[in-house]
Amino acid sequence: MRIRRRDFLKATGGGAAAAAVLRGRAWAQAKPIRIGYTLSATGPYSVGAGITQGTGYALWHEQVNAKGGLAVKGEGRRPIEYVTIDDRSEIETAVRFYEKLMGDDKVDLILPPWGTAMNFAVAPVANKYGYPMIGPTVSSNKLKELSFPYFYAILQQPDACMGAFTGFLKELKGQGKVSKVGVAYVNDLFGIEMHSSLTATLKDTGLEIVDTKSYPLGVKDLSPVLKGFKAAGADVFLGLTYPPDNILAASQAKEVDFNPPVYLAAVGTAFPFYRDRFKGAEGVSGIAGWNPKMKNPGAREYYEAHVKKHQKEPDRWASAFAYGSLQILERCVGEVGLDRKKIKEMLDATEFQTVAGPIKFAKGVNVTTPGMVGQWQKGEFEIIWPKALATAPVIIPKPAWA
Amino acid sequence: MSASLLFDILVTGLITGGIYALVALGLNLQYGLMRVLNVAHGEFLMLGAYVTYSLHMGWGANPLLTILVTGPAAFVAGLVLHRLLYARVLGQAEAREAIESRSLLLSFGLLFVLQNTALLVWSADLQGYSYLATPLHVLGAVFPANRVLAAGVALGLSVAFYVYLRRSLVGKAIRALMGEPEGAQLVGVNLTRLHGICFGLGVAMAAVTGSLISMLFELTPFVGLPYTVTALVVVILGGLGNVAGSLLAALLLGVVETVGVYFASSDIRLISSYAVLSLILILKPSGLFGR
Repeated sequence: MRIRRRDFLKATGGGAAAAAVLRGRAWAQAKPIRIGYTLSATGPYSVGAGITQGTGYALWHEQVNAKGGLAVKGEGRRPIEYVTIDDRSEIETAVRFYEKLMGDDKVDLILPPWGTAMNFAVAPVANKYGYPMIGPTVSSNKLKELSFPYFYAILQQPDACMGAFTGFLKELKGQGKVSKVGVAYVNDLFGIEMHSSLTATLKDTGLEIVDTKSYPLGVKDLSPVLKGFKAAGADVFLGLTYPPDNILAASQAKEVDFNPPVYLAAVGTAFPFYRDRFKGAEGVSGIAGWNPKMKNPGAREYYEAHVKKHQKEPDRWASAFAYGSLQILERCVGEVGLDRKKIKEMLDATEFQTVAGPIKFAKGVNVTTPGMVGQWQKGEFEIIWPKALATAPVIIPKPAWA
Repeated sequence: MSASLLFDILVTGLITGGIYALVALGLNLQYGLMRVLNVAHGEFLMLGAYVTYSLHMGWGANPLLTILVTGPAAFVAGLVLHRLLYARVLGQAEAREAIESRSLLLSFGLLFVLQNTALLVWSADLQGYSYLATPLHVLGAVFPANRVLAAGVALGLSVAFYVYLRRSLVGKAIRALMGEPEGAQLVGVNLTRLHGICFGLGVAMAAVTGSLISMLFELTPFVGLPYTVTALVVVILGGLGNVAGSLLAALLLGVVETVGVYFASSDIRLISSYAVLSLILILKPSGLFGR
């Protein structure tokens, strides 16, 4: 469950260095396709970047080059060469590097950085230079308003995620199993947007919100929040979290004896690390998007190749979408070549089959994948909502913390 | 407001404050005594936390007992660092300002070296373990057992150190240096040696705090800096070089923050602590207990 910096460098920088050495023998080999990106290897974003995105980039690079390279329409296979740096979780570093990649280096293609805020900052740059960018770790309703024609959001957006949460809770409410919700959200763009989507969709469900608390990124103590929910008799904990506060909330819930029948949390719950940290985390639910039991073509193969290469499992939300976005790019280049305008046209018009299921973009947002709720059950993050995609029935009430 | 809620808030505040106390005491020894502004203070806390994590996960060591390893090891590391880096750089500095700016630069470099070392050794993934993650019911309120333990130990060590400063010969020499540096040297206090010891003690306190908080939080190589900032606030609040002041300021800050969190939200935690700091700086610029 870790990406070491040296593996990261080996897979990315190392690949670039090897390609540079090989250039001396260029007559024997096709010219490499240069693909630029930044990812956070250090700083607060590095946790998510390493789990969700870096692993997929490295795996795809290895697989494609093992086949002799990326098939380009009319040119045959050309090896991939990554041009990349660590953006140190600094948005301005990332923006500057993307400017350089597209303006000076004129790379063939780009891949996105990690996280909603990063993608927000880089999207206008990509748009300016006309480079299609498919972001697998962006979830924000504001994207639609901003309208960057070259930016594509492949992950479920807040409305879809929260729609799934409320759909799921509404059914439980109908069965008389839950009625009172305590909501905690992280006070940054992600949490605020998720929260506003949640309140909009929760309105007509008959569920009562007994308490709402926000908290800052990097919070050190959530026990007052949890004690408040407990005192208010909440039978649903709903945390719109980022990974560190998600872990804190779960460990403190146990410490203050708070074990509601439904425990839902956002980013981080789908990480295998979360399951291991809480001895199975049996019955804990959260935002989901994927698991290896789904019937998407290639899902199981992707899972196995990921584990084989990285000795750790992909997460159960965005990892598969990160890899899926590369599959989409691969297909586009195979069918229309490296003309970025044509790639964009194909992205707008085509339904793609990926390990994360069928993907179709409308106005730059994936409209095929519904919001999903997952629940840790015996080591797998089973999809429990919507029912059409469910891989297991829901466990309610949640068992005691292990 | 019920008595049990008041009790809950007070104890939660003291738990937070107890941990602040130990980390701030370490910084006060360095900044208050030597004017060495060690912004890498929190990184030593981070390293202490990681060492405890590794000892616990690798050999099943009791996290609490690991402070017997991290404390002395950090003390020695502090002595060596002081001898190799700080004594050399600060030795030629004459004015107080020169010491502050040079030590700031030096520790800033150290911060990056230590963070990146941790990144190489432990990676950037969140890492943590569960220890004593059980509820503790006291008088109708419930507290996390591990936090009570960590704060108790931190507070105990802080008080013990305070007593040591008051009673022992070394402690008296340190206090003499804090109060009257030139006079202390005139009566034979060895400045360089004591500075080394104080620096080592400061590092040790950070590392021990780190060992304690590793029971409570997930670790990344970047957990240290917020503690440096909090420690600085506490040191300024309590008065530079004032050990008892630091202790009381830490507890006060813990309680103020908790009151803010209970009655408003966690978002105002930082605001409330900076509000207290600003207020004190306006009303009594030498700190709550400064002279």
